[in-house]
Amino acid sequence: MLNEKRFDATFIFRVIGIVFFAYLFFGFMLVPCWNTLTSIFKEKTASGDPDPFAVIRFFLAGNMKNYVWNSLKLAIILVITVNVVGISLVLLTEYFDIKGAKILRLGYMTTMIYSGVALVTGYMFLYANDGILTPLLTNAFPGLDKTWFSGFGAVVFTMTFACTSNHMLFLRNAIRSIDYNTVEAARNMGANPFKVLWKVVLPTLIPTLFSLTVMTFITGLCAMSSPTLLGYDAINPEIVRLAGSSAADESFPQARAALLSIILAIFTIILLTVLTAYERKGHYLSVSKTKAKLQKQKIDNPVANVIAHIYAYVLFLIYMTPVVMIIIFSFQSYSAIRMRKLDISNWTLLNYFGQADYEYMTARGEYKTRVGSISGVFSNEDTLGGIKTSFLLSAVAAALACVIVVVACNYISKHKKTGTILEYSLLFPWLLPTILICYSFRIYFNSESVWYVGNQNLYYADNVRLLIIMAYVVTKLPFSLRMIKASFYSIDSELEDAAKNLGSSSLRTFLKVKLPIILPSVLAVFALNFNALFTEYDMSATFASKYGTTYAMVIQAMTREEGLYGYNINASGRRCASTVFIMIVSGVILWLVYGVGARDLSERLEARKKRKAFFAKLFGKKQLKSEP
Amino acid sequence: MIKLNDIVVKFGDFTALHDINVNVKEGEFFTFLGPSGCGKTTTLRTITGFIQPASGTVFMNGKDITRVPIEKRDIGVVFQSYALFPTMTVYDNIAFGLKIKKLNKQEIDQKVRDIARKVDLSDEQLAKAVSQLSGGQQQRVAIARALVTSPKIICLDEPLSNLDAKLRVQLRNELKKMQKDFGITSIYVTHDQEEALTLSDRIAVFNKGYIEQIGTPNEIYNHSATEFVCNFIGDINRLEDNIVAAMNEKGAGLDPAWHHYIRLERLHVNKKDDADHFSFDAQVVASEYYGLYIKYTIAAFGQTLRVIEKNDGSTPFTQGDTVKVSFSTSNIMSYAPKEA
Repeated sequence: MLNEKRFDATFIFRVIGIVFFAYLFFGFMLVPCWNTLTSIFKEKTASGDPDPFAVIRFFLAGNMKNYVWNSLKLAIILVITVNVVGISLVLLTEYFDIKGAKILRLGYMTTMIYSGVALVTGYMFLYANDGILTPLLTNAFPGLDKTWFSGFGAVVFTMTFACTSNHMLFLRNAIRSIDYNTVEAARNMGANPFKVLWKVVLPTLIPTLFSLTVMTFITGLCAMSSPTLLGYDAINPEIVRLAGSSAADESFPQARAALLSIILAIFTIILLTVLTAYERKGHYLSVSKTKAKLQKQKIDNPVANVIAHIYAYVLFLIYMTPVVMIIIFSFQSYSAIRMRKLDISNWTLLNYFGQADYEYMTARGEYKTRVGSISGVFSNEDTLGGIKTSFLLSAVAAALACVIVVVACNYISKHKKTGTILEYSLLFPWLLPTILICYSFRIYFNSESVWYVGNQNLYYADNVRLLIIMAYVVTKLPFSLRMIKASFYSIDSELEDAAKNLGSSSLRTFLKVKLPIILPSVLAVFALNFNALFTEYDMSATFASKYGTTYAMVIQAMTREEGLYGYNINASGRRCASTVFIMIVSGVILWLVYGVGARDLSERLEARKKRKAFFAKLFGKKQLKSEP
Repeated sequence: MIKLNDIVVKFGDFTALHDINVNVKEGEFFTFLGPSGCGKTTTLRTITGFIQPASGTVFMNGKDITRVPIEKRDIGVVFQSYALFPTMTVYDNIAFGLKIKKLNKQEIDQKVRDIARKVDLSDEQLAKAVSQLSGGQQQRVAIARALVTSPKIICLDEPLSNLDAKLRVQLRNELKKMQKDFGITSIYVTHDQEEALTLSDRIAVFNKGYIEQIGTPNEIYNHSATEFVCNFIGDINRLEDNIVAAMNEKGAGLDPAWHHYIRLERLHVNKKDDADHFSFDAQVVASEYYGLYIKYTIAAFGQTLRVIEKNDGSTPFTQGDTVKVSFSTSNIMSYAPKEA
């Protein structure tokens, strides 16, 4: 009897689960994207006859090809530049003995606390034609054009340094896991450090480098914020532009946007297939039973040593200058920001909490006030609105993605066949560029005829927030699944048996035994997702709705605002303060994840003990003091 | 206490257990011994309820428990990895089963502290995370957790396999003492013959999903029922055709078609012959000095044999020495060859 009841409950849960995941997969992954794909072939001639290949003809005849070529060109160049810089960073901090490596590493890792729009605007603050460093650069290089920081070169420059985070995470781990005995063996056989690097170290890093190369290529191909802000005709900004255009302005803009999205998807699928096939071959594993920790290699040649040090610190300057300048100028007055000149005697919190309206001088020499364009991040209504929207949407989406994936992983770990189907369906969005998913959502749900969402237009008014959340969730599912599944599989299966043997139900075992074990990973995934979404620009820009104006869009708007009504210093200062705010939020989250969250029970118990001892000491001292 | 009747376990088309019949008596320390993949853990998991047999019955105190859910069987389990919950303290690990049984806090506390005392865990250790304990302490926690709910039987699945050699011997003795103190029926799984011989009241030797022999350690070692058991337990010499023929010339009466074995310690070097002893001259090929004993490899009749001699303080033989080797024919274990 008891068994029957249990069976029924499990069966009901399973049915609910299957229905939910089928709804998620078909309703929010397959059908909208399929609709985008088919929309390419739905165009008609002027006489109303079907003309399925009109867009493709247009693509082949017109300048649409240029966007694809531009994106490809960017991706190819980035593969080279990002790998060169990324490998350099890792070698300089982990392999060669460079003085001040710890400080250098911190500098190289700054891209982990600010990226996307915040990073691009930061670079613009430094290198644009009125940037802080532009006069210095033009003095140093007299031939340099003041407007060098725009277009292709600027995008490559910015993205080269912005896209090395993965190298600092994955390549660093890979190089640290090299068995030092292999290096010693090579040295023992007469190889110099560079020979060892070339013949022993780098070959073992090839699988990781290959993965990083593919990821960099996809990043370049799908670049959005850099081309948008720095003015480069790449695919993604064009899709966003076309999505917002109408047939009255140009020929079948929606179908063209769809075609570009599908082209991106094809490239992504090919690359990821190659990557997966390569990954299946496996990585080089150390066969050593007593692995030795990698020790840094001294560069014996003094000239090479000096060059390596100079190179390391030049890179450090490139990484750190925007961060330092933005932090400093976020505490500077309007005039200092306007003149791009540091005023050491005048520090202010105006850009954070200032309530002053923006005053500007018109072409007629009259002063005008732009009401509402107040300076402080935390006083400006638009900025606060963006922060709130981003915070809410990101938190809800990050949490939802984690919950869905945890439930799915629990199922996948128990059911091999159906679990595999579920796993692949959740990994499906990985094959699709983010922009395709968002564009598909925008087009498909901008209608009242989608029955499975209650015939509600999800692209209408407030509903768009729901749509953004769904897009966020769907795009974050593959990453969350890969991370959480790995930690699920690391759970010793005997723990579950032990709990069962002690009388624990499946639910109790999940909540009391398994969940606490995977919780640090789940929280880490939540935090990383939240961090990425909080400053996300590409998706919200594709939706482009005033009901879903995110923080990154507000920051992007500030750059436009700067050019309106004369020079808006309020916006510049606020932008600096916004970037600092993002750095703080991201930094705190990373600290919580990798610092506090990564502690195991013994470390937490130890910390609790220390806290208790500290308070006991404090309390004891106070008692002593209060004694007469 | 526990009786397995004709248990068959299948994984798809593969039959992991064939007609297993075992009867474990109350208070007994019973060991399932065998090489990896022989079915010993599968048998244990069938008893504990983690695996449902394709056919056959599991009885506990005469009651059929084959279909009884795991948690209702009243069997404590100590897992190979100990399976201690890493996110809980030692106290919470031990209290886990009691909480599920919905005992009140005071009762839980009393039981946890009682069992902790019995397995030699201090109050300070109870407050620690399991990762802060040594291997031996972790094993005690696993045993305490398995015993705190007062199960009728405790099943131990290779609990010493992850430990270093020295600790393994130390904990083996502790385990035996604990079992005697608690007087609980124990079923122990191991692939380590030494562990099985020193700990067990009785042993079942498994091979390829079958039980080859059930018996006391002495029966298993000295009267191995099958050629597999004879080879698996301890070190042994196989007597090849030449030596068998030589023995038969002296009237040993060994069937030349059968396989004949003798254990290393049953051969003697330069000892006075008894009436039933077969002796012959041999050459020392190698000598290994172990302190307590010396292991010789000798050559005779075109084959090599190994001999263990207790170290009596005399100078060991060295390579090339000629020695006289003897053994009693009554110590030979003979087995009919299996049909192909």
